[in-house]
Amino acid sequence: MELFKYLPQTNCKKCGYPTCMGYALALLQGKVKIEDCTPLVEEAKYKEKYEKLIELMGGEDGKEKELHIDIDEDLCDGCGICVTACPVNARFCPPTLSGKAPDVPHDKHQLFEVKDGKCVLLNLEHCRRLEAEGRERECHVCEIYCPREAIKIVYV
Amino acid sequence: MERIPCTGCSLLCDDILIGTDGLFVDKIYGACLKGKERFDQVSSKNRLTSPMIRKSGNLENVSWDNALEKVKEILNASSKPLLYGFSTSNCEAQAKGIQLAKKINGFIDSNSVICLGKALNIAKETGITLTTLAEIINKTDLIVLWGSNAAESIPRLLNKILFSRGKFRMTGREIKTIIIIDPVKTASFGVMQLRDLALNIHTGKDLDLIRVLKEECCKEGSFPKEGVAGIDEEELKRLFLNLMGAENGVIFIGQGLLRPLPEVNVIKELFELVNLINLKQNKGRISVGLLGGHYNMFGFDQISLSLTGKNHSLQFSNNELVNTEDTIITKIEKDDFDCSIIVGTDPISHFPYSLSKKLASKPLIVIDNRKSATSDMAEIVLPSAITGIECEGLVYRFDHVPIELKKILNPPSGVLTDEEILNQIIQKIG
Repeated sequence: MELFKYLPQTNCKKCGYPTCMGYALALLQGKVKIEDCTPLVEEAKYKEKYEKLIELMGGEDGKEKELHIDIDEDLCDGCGICVTACPVNARFCPPTLSGKAPDVPHDKHQLFEVKDGKCVLLNLEHCRRLEAEGRERECHVCEIYCPREAIKIVYV
Repeated sequence: MERIPCTGCSLLCDDILIGTDGLFVDKIYGACLKGKERFDQVSSKNRLTSPMIRKSGNLENVSWDNALEKVKEILNASSKPLLYGFSTSNCEAQAKGIQLAKKINGFIDSNSVICLGKALNIAKETGITLTTLAEIINKTDLIVLWGSNAAESIPRLLNKILFSRGKFRMTGREIKTIIIIDPVKTASFGVMQLRDLALNIHTGKDLDLIRVLKEECCKEGSFPKEGVAGIDEEELKRLFLNLMGAENGVIFIGQGLLRPLPEVNVIKELFELVNLINLKQNKGRISVGLLGGHYNMFGFDQISLSLTGKNHSLQFSNNELVNTEDTIITKIEKDDFDCSIIVGTDPISHFPYSLSKKLASKPLIVIDNRKSATSDMAEIVLPSAITGIECEGLVYRFDHVPIELKKILNPPSGVLTDEEILNQIIQKIG
């Protein structure tokens, strides 16, 4: 809905979608680019909206920005909620399905691990934010479910 | 690397991966900070390794024989000994403790009397619907945390019950609803989603909420318009709907529901509410989980129930159990003791000053694996092995399921297990 606000809302069909709402949904899922909406780029009266939209989609637009997951070691108490909640861990480490600690040595897909009472980020290569498509790319379960608010997803 | 049960708290996670080099625990995977500290105690600075006796004001290292001789001296001179603790020992040691109390005509009590052990006594009148951890993981769809901050007191609990994907709850977090009833916005509120219910109840008003819910069970549409205890009508309706619609709900009771005064019996009313809901709803059932702190708190209740028929607060006279209304608190308050044996706990720092002053004024015999405020005040200190790491045994989890602990390290030389120490005291007295 946020994206729809900054579109021309004329339903001109130039992008290939019947309505601006359909285009907004496709934009959210990463199927189309902002440049596909030609009136937004060409007409001067939409300039402000265009810039806002670029700002909104900034995370995916700026290619040089790199994904980082920061874990605050002072706040973390090793509850392992991130290990269990992470969808990638759940797929590749069967023990995490019932809330158990994953096997050691870890699977190459595994993202989080609790070692010595603190959460450790093993690798980021298989994070949904990099590998998945569409809405799953917006995954941030580790960040929202951490009861201590120790995990932060940042783009640097 | 092997999976062993962790003895950090009453959850007793049996999936902790441990690696040892023969002397210390050097690799710990999966354990929370609490569990990690527990494993670190093996090599900690304040570990007790030798028996000690107080001589001219200072604690001095002595041999086991001398220490046990002194214990015999104190126990023979006393007529009203007090035994307290046992929540961090295995069940075998607890049985020995009861045997010792019987022999010396003492009063024995465990930490559960000032914790949720009360609830089990109340359950004798009202009945209690219990559940097990496996059932919670695989089947539950409603979790209520009432007066407990599980995210900080039992860190891995929410991980196991809320985020796990059980056999009949494959979508995990998506299908489970959590309701937290607490006056303080604790860290546990951090795991909530939109459809979950956070109820900020006024401090000490739990009884009002329970009574309103009980009334609604008997007669529909009787919620007060203005709400109750800081919870408005809309939230009350949602709470009631969730409780009635749950296929397999569980209410976790924490320390927040305990009241020191016996006439305000919140837990009794809560059990009655659960019974009423279970009578009324036909989808499934609501059960109760008791969140204790010490890992073998319920073990003492089980052992003393099977040996003597009473949960806790056992008074022996002429080597027979006698009826008493006393607990450890009233005993100390009335000064009705003349020496005490403390096993694996630290009452001097747990109890209020008025009580700990009285406790410290009589001879103290401490059996523990680490230095504490109590062991600093003690007359005799007997070092013990850490149960669950240096000695095996049976313990009871928070859901009353027995778990077998494993031995992964040898205790330091000259250190005996709780069971052996108590056995030696029994034999010494003869």
